[in-house]
Amino acid sequence: MIAGRGRQRIRPPRRHGLGGNDLDFEKLWTTISAAFLEIHTRNASTLSYEELYRQAYQIVLKKRGDDLYKRVNAFEHEWLVTEVRKSIKEHYSPQMLANAQGLSSTTNERRMAGERFLKGLNDAWSHHQVCLSMISDVLMYMNRTYCDETHRPPVYTTAMTLFRDDVLRSPIVESESRSVLDLLCDVMLDQIQMERDGDVIDKYLIKSSVLMLESLYDSKPGSADERLYNTAYEQEYLKRSRLFYRQESELLIREADAGAYCRHASRRLYEEEERCKSTLSEGTMPLIREVVEDELIRNRLSEVVEMESGVRFMIDNDRFQDLNLIYALNARVDDKKSGLTKAVQQRIIAMGNEVNEAAIAASQAPAAAPDNGDKGKGAAPERSTNQQTVAAIKWVEDVLQLKDKFDAIWKMAFQKDNVMQTAMTKSFTEFINSATFPRSSEYISLFIDENMKKGIKGKTETEIDVVLEKAITLLRYVQDKDLFERYYKKHLCRRLLMNKSISNDVERQMIGKMKIELGNNFTMKLEAMFKDMTISEELTSGFKRHVEGLGEQDPRRIELAINVLTSMTWPLESMGPSEEGDSRRTQCNFPPAIERIKRGFEKYYSEKHSGRQLTWLANMGSADIKAVFPKVPQKDGTFKERRHELNVSTYAMVVLLLFNDMAALQSLTFEEIQAQTNIATNELVRTLQSLAVAPKTRILIKEPMSKDVKATDRFSFNEGFSGKFVKIKVGVVSGGNKVETDRERRETEKKNDDSRGFCIEAAVVRIMKQRKELSHQQLVVETLHQLASQFRPEVSMIKKRIESLIEREYLERIEGAAVDSYRYLA
Amino acid sequence: MPTPEPSEYVTIVSSDGFEFKILRSAACISGALRKAFDPASGFREQVESRFVLENFPGVVVEKICEYLYYNQKYAEAKDVPDMEIPAELCLELVTAADYLDC
Repeated sequence: MIAGRGRQRIRPPRRHGLGGNDLDFEKLWTTISAAFLEIHTRNASTLSYEELYRQAYQIVLKKRGDDLYKRVNAFEHEWLVTEVRKSIKEHYSPQMLANAQGLSSTTNERRMAGERFLKGLNDAWSHHQVCLSMISDVLMYMNRTYCDETHRPPVYTTAMTLFRDDVLRSPIVESESRSVLDLLCDVMLDQIQMERDGDVIDKYLIKSSVLMLESLYDSKPGSADERLYNTAYEQEYLKRSRLFYRQESELLIREADAGAYCRHASRRLYEEEERCKSTLSEGTMPLIREVVEDELIRNRLSEVVEMESGVRFMIDNDRFQDLNLIYALNARVDDKKSGLTKAVQQRIIAMGNEVNEAAIAASQAPAAAPDNGDKGKGAAPERSTNQQTVAAIKWVEDVLQLKDKFDAIWKMAFQKDNVMQTAMTKSFTEFINSATFPRSSEYISLFIDENMKKGIKGKTETEIDVVLEKAITLLRYVQDKDLFERYYKKHLCRRLLMNKSISNDVERQMIGKMKIELGNNFTMKLEAMFKDMTISEELTSGFKRHVEGLGEQDPRRIELAINVLTSMTWPLESMGPSEEGDSRRTQCNFPPAIERIKRGFEKYYSEKHSGRQLTWLANMGSADIKAVFPKVPQKDGTFKERRHELNVSTYAMVVLLLFNDMAALQSLTFEEIQAQTNIATNELVRTLQSLAVAPKTRILIKEPMSKDVKATDRFSFNEGFSGKFVKIKVGVVSGGNKVETDRERRETEKKNDDSRGFCIEAAVVRIMKQRKELSHQQLVVETLHQLASQFRPEVSMIKKRIESLIEREYLERIEGAAVDSYRYLA
Repeated sequence: MPTPEPSEYVTIVSSDGFEFKILRSAACISGALRKAFDPASGFREQVESRFVLENFPGVVVEKICEYLYYNQKYAEAKDVPDMEIPAELCLELVTAADYLDC
């Protein structure tokens, strides 16, 4: 730029006093210090910045910056010591320290005095800041050049440090050791304490004091921890707060209930956070939060949870809000919420056990009856089993109610917390599978059974779905799924064969749901049962066509409806007369007409499927008979023939047909009937009871008339029988699904254990085949893992099975191994 | 403060009595001027919106003002054209730049 400009003379810079050699430092300083004094006494508007600036500029330019720097600092020191300190002292009054000195003064006086002091100090500080910023404006050139070159802090910083040393750290009164800073902190703490106690304080004053302390450093400026705020104030603040909250929580625990405590605690937390924002420093927030959480929650939570009005009370009374509070508080200090979780779990288990006990109590109310009544088949055990069924259904409903309750709590109060859900599920599993209550699988199956038979009548699809979903929910908790399968199969079998089920669609839906929940394996057999039913329908209609095709138009033709059941899938043994197992397979003698049609079907069936053997289960069937009662005088004097359609069990039909060909009033003894029909004793007793003892269906007359059926009793056809309806159903004793008696139960369990044995063996062999060698411990763990979806086997059982496998040379022990180990023998 | 609303323009006076009215925002580009006109401190310059440069004649002050506007105009721009600076003034301008901190 300058080059190529032709020959112009460059004008030398004029030095109008800027760089003249004549520098009278003292004279200039006098002017400057006078001006500073003006600044400090708020008279700056008469001063010319340019003039002062120029003078300072000149001084620095003439290399007297060092002198100027020192003079300025000395000037400030002098000013602070003489003037500022004096004004601070004016604001001091002994009332502020009432507590410390044991003087009595009201809180209000103390607050006012404290505020005055804070105000005085703050004013001094802010004025100091303003003045120093003006002075450093004037001394800008010195800051820029001299301070930078010599690495000295700028005037402003130095002056702030001076304020710290000369004002804050000076003693308040000559005689005292307490410095202004100590007093300041005390007053601030005192004020905050007043606010905690409910007074209204001047937050702004405290905030500006905090700002002052934050802008000053304890020693060298640098790290944030060294700020006066942190060193002089914050630590003391935290210490006092801790003390305060410790005392407060103690008091509250003693005096308030848990809900109030939680509300108070969360309010305090909120207050402290707000206080950090509005009055103190944001940096303190995590620290004070920690303190309050420590004192109000962490150290107290277990006490609060266990209070009389604690979690238990809240759960029992559906105090969602309180629970939510306690949850929020707990979540603050503990990710796992272990305190609360533990309490909730305890409550679930306690309530669950209550439900269990109630069920046991209800089922055992007529405790002695079912046990002793096993032999005598009166009405009493009948009723008691009914009672048990009711107990079972009540148990399921209670558990579901419990589940609903805790679900609601979980949703409303625990913010759908995952950890809580897992814990709650665990507790439910625990009490449902508790060792003292082994009947959950049976009860759940019974619940489904009850609903399938009656409950879902007249309900919409969605309602049914809800019911099914509930059952599935419970099923999820059950560990011994195989036991459940056994019961379900049994109940389903009854429903299907006796047409008790309201809707096959719903049955299928249920099985679909189970399939989703428990897998294919679980439902395979259940589905096979349905398949058998369908095939049977086809067979029946096929056979009907076949008979019609024979052209044999017999007016007395008997229609046959048949169910062909695969013996592997159907739990037929449980349907049979299990009490006297040896008579199970005896075939009853059918009357000739029936026998004929039975043969016909057998022939038809073997044509279709060769090599299959049919076993007739007469004890499961039923028959419709048209009966004509002769003209005999009635009680009401009418005299006419009556026709009834009797729906009776197959056995009853067989028995009734015996009387078909006999003369009126001729009678048969029990023994004769048994000899002719070959029906097992207990079955026959039951059949005859329903025909001759039950008051509404007395088609036979028994001699002598009594409730029990003895071998010598005689039976004859009741010609005078009359009923209100044309169709009469003769009740089948023990037709429904009921809770098992203890004896049946033991048997079921035994069967279950047997099948479990096979499952365990299969699992062990599978594992060993894959691993070849495995230590005992690992094998047990893996077996448990494999079987987890079906049931939880006992370790002793696994051990036994392993022993048995070794005996049968599937496995061998590895000799000399450090830990017990096995080898697979191919 | 006597003037609650700072005026939009300020006056710079040279040693030989020339007055230059320039935008306050432009003046504040100079560190010294900015501090002189700082409303928080309240020096006389601030009160009167008038700054007397005792050391510099009008011809230099004019150039200073030109520079301040130039600086303001191109503060955010790229490819800025060079400013015309008469060679004979450059030494004095260097002094002024140091003095005014701009």
